[in-house]
Amino acid sequence: MSFNVLIVDDSHSMRSVIKKIIAISGFKMDQCYEAGNGKQALEILSKTWVDVILSDLNMPEMNGMELLSALKGDNLLQEIPVIIVSTEGSDERRNLVLKMGAKQFIKKPFSPEHVRKILYEVIGVGDDGTYEGNERGDESSDF
Amino acid sequence: MKEMNEAMRAAIFDVFERMYYVFFEPFHDEYAEYTMGSSIKFDGPLRGELMILVSEELAKVMVQNLLGIEGEDIKEQDIEDCVKEAANMICGDFLSRLDQTKVFDLSIPLFIRLPGGFREGNRACRLSFDSENGMFGATLSLTE
Repeated sequence: MSFNVLIVDDSHSMRSVIKKIIAISGFKMDQCYEAGNGKQALEILSKTWVDVILSDLNMPEMNGMELLSALKGDNLLQEIPVIIVSTEGSDERRNLVLKMGAKQFIKKPFSPEHVRKILYEVIGVGDDGTYEGNERGDESSDF
Repeated sequence: MKEMNEAMRAAIFDVFERMYYVFFEPFHDEYAEYTMGSSIKFDGPLRGELMILVSEELAKVMVQNLLGIEGEDIKEQDIEDCVKEAANMICGDFLSRLDQTKVFDLSIPLFIRLPGGFREGNRACRLSFDSENGMFGATLSLTE
């Protein structure tokens, strides 16, 4: 089982780092899509399905909070688990994005191990690529 | 003031050690040659601007260690992006160390080339460090 990932961050270097961490973590990645803001992310999502989104909050044009709202307002896209990766680490902000539908919150700076652990929790995939099921997967699939 | 200095120092160390694998020591930088920097504004219970200052050598090491590219493969865009992201992370980390319970809004960081060097103004906080990979400085100015 391999997964499509969408990384949303206005920093090209941060997108590359996250992509590299996912690649070396044993996570079976099929396609990795990249967007520089929420608007570009929605354009990608209008054409293709992804299994998980990792998104920054502070971005030009359309920020991460606006992206979360847009996803929540779409019957299909609201099913995609979103992990927020941000420098903004206040308890209030964290609680707000979780309330808005994000599955997890990773604060920058992060360690590769932490990103891997959160991905495992959200998608339910181990180091060997074995799918271990999560809420959505348990209901909709039997792999 | 002491609290701000400590929070800023801890944020800088954390970001550089975890993301760029660079380890700093305190340094008096009156002769430092910073060639670039990045500024980011924040708004919330405190308002102000953080500016980080980086030597050419350090900027290249940051790109090298973060992205795994070196030499001629390092483009100006990589350097700019890397320095801006460092300002973003340090500012966010600094503010959450000051008060984890308060929400701050951060601006999009700006990249600045400093061909004439850096001129110090009135700052609430000024820190400088050296490493085997080059020099780093940070200034914080608060607005009423």
